[in-house]
Amino acid sequence: MKWRLFALQFATPLLAILFGVLIASIIVLAIGQNPLDVFGVLIRFGLLRSDSLLSILFKATPLIFAGLAVALSFRAALWNIGVEGQFYIGAFTAAYIGFTLKGLPIFIHLPLTILAAAAGGMAWALIPIVLKLRRGAHEVITTIMMNYIAAALILYLIADVFRDPSQVGTPRVRTPEFPPSARVPSMGPLLELFGLTGPDANKVNWLLPFGLVLCVVFAIVLSRTRFGYEVRAVAFSPLAAEAAGIPNARIQFLMFMLSGAVAGLVGLNDVLGFFGYLDIDFPKGLGFLGISVALLAKNNPLGVILAALLFGFLDRGAQGVQFFARTPKEVIVILQALIILAIVVAYELMTRYVRKQRKREAERPPPAATVAAEAGR
Amino acid sequence: METLVSLLTLALIASAIRVTMPILLAALGAVYSERGGVINIGLEGIMIMGTLFGAVGDYVFAQRFPGLVESVPDLAPAAGVLVAILAGVLFALIHAVVTVTFRVDQIISGVALNLLAVGAARFLNILFFEVSTQSPGVSGFTPLNIPILKDIPALEPIATSISPMIPAALLLVLISHWVLLRTRFGLRLRAVGEHPLAADTLGINVIRTRYAGVMISGAFAGMAGAYLAIEQAHLYFEGMTQGRGFIALAAMIFGNWWPLGALGASALFGYFDALSLRVVRLPVPSQFINVLPHIVSILVLAGFVRRAQPPAADGIPYSKEEE
Repeated sequence: MKWRLFALQFATPLLAILFGVLIASIIVLAIGQNPLDVFGVLIRFGLLRSDSLLSILFKATPLIFAGLAVALSFRAALWNIGVEGQFYIGAFTAAYIGFTLKGLPIFIHLPLTILAAAAGGMAWALIPIVLKLRRGAHEVITTIMMNYIAAALILYLIADVFRDPSQVGTPRVRTPEFPPSARVPSMGPLLELFGLTGPDANKVNWLLPFGLVLCVVFAIVLSRTRFGYEVRAVAFSPLAAEAAGIPNARIQFLMFMLSGAVAGLVGLNDVLGFFGYLDIDFPKGLGFLGISVALLAKNNPLGVILAALLFGFLDRGAQGVQFFARTPKEVIVILQALIILAIVVAYELMTRYVRKQRKREAERPPPAATVAAEAGR
Repeated sequence: METLVSLLTLALIASAIRVTMPILLAALGAVYSERGGVINIGLEGIMIMGTLFGAVGDYVFAQRFPGLVESVPDLAPAAGVLVAILAGVLFALIHAVVTVTFRVDQIISGVALNLLAVGAARFLNILFFEVSTQSPGVSGFTPLNIPILKDIPALEPIATSISPMIPAALLLVLISHWVLLRTRFGLRLRAVGEHPLAADTLGINVIRTRYAGVMISGAFAGMAGAYLAIEQAHLYFEGMTQGRGFIALAAMIFGNWWPLGALGASALFGYFDALSLRVVRLPVPSQFINVLPHIVSILVLAGFVRRAQPPAADGIPYSKEEE
């Protein structure tokens, strides 16, 4: 029974991915292309080239933070759809600390910058969670609205207040550049030792191992500590948790703040790890991809790593599909959404099946031998 | 004082009425879905499909039947609205299957639907128009003028060039209110949203009724999208819904889950939306005026304006067997 459940846990996401591929194949067929070509290119281009591997690592880095942020809130039965806005604000606060402080050594400046990003994300998450716990405002809609407000605020701050004076008169709208002490070092030299070189080698930076460590830490905290137990209790049955003396509101507040803090780090991969300034055209939509990553990972921090790598691969492969298979790369976006829809249905069915099995097992009369032993005792 | 006066001009009110419509239509849809007990966060995505298919229906009809359209120009936009409604219903059907049949969490399904809509809209746009983010221009309905009022110059902004979809939407508000209060279907829908088990024991088919609620919401959200593309912008472009589907949810909550309430709430959002569209001289940076409706919806949800009472079984999947 036990190993069957374990196998089921792995088979479910694979089946969902297969279902997504199947529907996407029908779509590809419908536009007169060969699905085998498209998926062949997807794998050949996305997986079997060393520059693609580096690109996947770079693309997966922010997705690890975004997926983890979403998963942390979902774990506490809270819907933080506002990771997008929280990461805008985090990217800005990091940029602000990055370009205003000067002359600090990197081991002071960089941590300060990263902390500023976390604080920015938390500040933006504070309003929805306070309104939820105090006023009962549903966090789904308030966080979505905060996303739009964050976008407006960032636009205002970059374009009207902190625009790099040396860029005025050019079409570039961005903040001043940060000194090297506020940048995350590249992993390029290290990767070169392993024979991984290419145009993207220098883009992969130390935020990737940082994100991995963060995932492992949260996986341990959530599964092995008292706090993790309290989070599970609150999510599973708020009433029972309350009766057991676990403070629902405080646990939910803490988890939402942690979610906001991690969300604040999403933009750093591009801002601190690559560009070195905050441009008005910084990559957007990562917060929403984080929702997909978390759903795919079933809110498991270790699963987030795998899901982020999968999405990084799909994103990279999409470029190949567009270029070599002459199929719009949006097919891959549809594939991602289909996988998510299939996965939530599959997980739901799996949970129901497991529950039914457990119930049946509980109802089954115990084997005669044990009954006799019990009676004889 | 000058700023105050400019906040209440007839032109502004006329524009407020126009931009209220998409929010109102989507909010009406949300009322049907949630009265049946299904939260529909996917409204935004359905609306995106509505904007795209509204433009596609309008454009393709005008290309295919140029003769017909020349004699009756309103046929093309009407086709657009119909196609958008159909697309909305089909897209909402996904939400119904996932949440009502498979009983997946309604928020998750809605979020996934919104993700799907963004990708699907781009992909389909490439198929129809060969670019990913925009459609060619499309024609709107022949505007209406109110017979006597249109000759009074002072009333010109609100009495002339009215989209026929505006009176239609207002009529739909009244019809919806009547449907939910007086008809057999409306009472059943509300019963299913308040207490599905009780409704089930009375012989009401809970699953089918909830499907109906969700699909009607899709029809309204599709129509809301069509209004945006056909009547407001005269084309489809990516991101044109700008979160109006979510604002509509806030409007429905503020309107206490009733069509007439949704009308009042949507008008409030419409007013702030219109403020952001018009050049009103205010001592605030324009970026913040743009998100006024979003800020107002947060305040509304926080209950700073009024406390609301959702249907009792809203958001809870229903299954016959006990688990």
